[in-house]
Amino acid sequence: MWRKPAEGKPSSESYNQPVSSAAPVENSHAPQPSPAPAPPAPSRSVADSAPVALGGNASKITSGLKINGEISGSADLYIDGEVQGKLRLGNARVTVGPNGRVQADIEAREIVVEGNVDGNLKAGERAHFGSSSRVNGSVMTPRIGIDDGARLRGKVETVQAAPARPTSSGIKQEATETLQPVEASAKGE
Amino acid sequence: MNWMAKARPAAPSSAAGVAPSKPGPNAAAAPASSNVRVSNALKEFLWLISDVPQGRILDLGPVWQSTVSFFVDKGYRVSTEDLLRTWKEFLTAEEEGFRKAPVGAPAEKISPAALADKFLESALRYQERSFHGVLAWDLLDYFDPEVTPRLMERLAQLIHPGGAMLAMFHSRAAERFHRYRVVDGQTIELIPASTLAVHAHVFQNREILGLFAEFRSSKTFVGRDQVREGLFLK
Repeated sequence: MWRKPAEGKPSSESYNQPVSSAAPVENSHAPQPSPAPAPPAPSRSVADSAPVALGGNASKITSGLKINGEISGSADLYIDGEVQGKLRLGNARVTVGPNGRVQADIEAREIVVEGNVDGNLKAGERAHFGSSSRVNGSVMTPRIGIDDGARLRGKVETVQAAPARPTSSGIKQEATETLQPVEASAKGE
Repeated sequence: MNWMAKARPAAPSSAAGVAPSKPGPNAAAAPASSNVRVSNALKEFLWLISDVPQGRILDLGPVWQSTVSFFVDKGYRVSTEDLLRTWKEFLTAEEEGFRKAPVGAPAEKISPAALADKFLESALRYQERSFHGVLAWDLLDYFDPEVTPRLMERLAQLIHPGGAMLAMFHSRAAERFHRYRVVDGQTIELIPASTLAVHAHVFQNREILGLFAEFRSSKTFVGRDQVREGLFLK
């Protein structure tokens, strides 16, 4: 009749790590003089507080510009202006800069937010919310990083990565992620 | 699932309370300079929701990496809504709208009750029975008296039958405004924060029971700092 409660698995390293709000988020978003290859993403931790530097070849929507419609493609995108509509950049990185204001659902490989986003986010690899970010919507991602000061009104749901499988050479590789459909927005649920 | 029939988790090794210098073995990873609190209510909260794989948690405080990762690592889905901040922003917007009303226009005096109703039209917009656990921290101490009962009514609707809600109540006016985040399975960290709201009310035990009248069971833990941790089962 009495049973000992099942204890959760041992705490992962990630959630016990204090997240530094002093992480060079904005600097890392600044365009680099030369394209900087993104370092290989870690594959085990849910938390990921260090944004990857944005490559210099990213398309930019600078402050003062306003776009209404759907944006799709495969190039990285840096938004410091206003975007309304839909963003579908499945294999690219979308960065919403400190001045960026996005009213759109975003689907991308990586989503980094320092500004305002009103919409559902679906990241294939990771999502990161900087200290000045304001996000209103649901987030679906395998890994998420949240800096202190970030504001999120909505749901966070992780897509568990499929277990890594050994290759013929014995080197493990990450299985391809399959994202499920994003659930209804937290606001409208 | 009958959570009431579940056996209790093992008694924690230490009494609940703030432990700034010796957080205990399970809180060893917490930042050394911050306040951590061994939380019996959190431990029971986790135990109660442990039977719900991929359950949904609603955190009414600000979003923290540690809290989100803690629950997500265990397979839960986490929703966050910084309710007190939302309330304050709502009040500010209402005030601004009132100030910007054209001169001579009939001033619409909104009663505190109507204001609370209007706030809840835009806050906590989730389907009923959406959550298996709600972390309210000490927020109920800070809401206006007109808001609290309405808020509780809404929260009771949002919690799945058998779900749990964790809330904390100060026994005297809080000296400092804190935010809370989960460090591990029985430890929460108190984050000193700029005062978002003044401590509005010290709830007596019977008032707390009244607030949670729609819940079928409750358990209270009193810490050495006289903060009461309540765990309420719907």
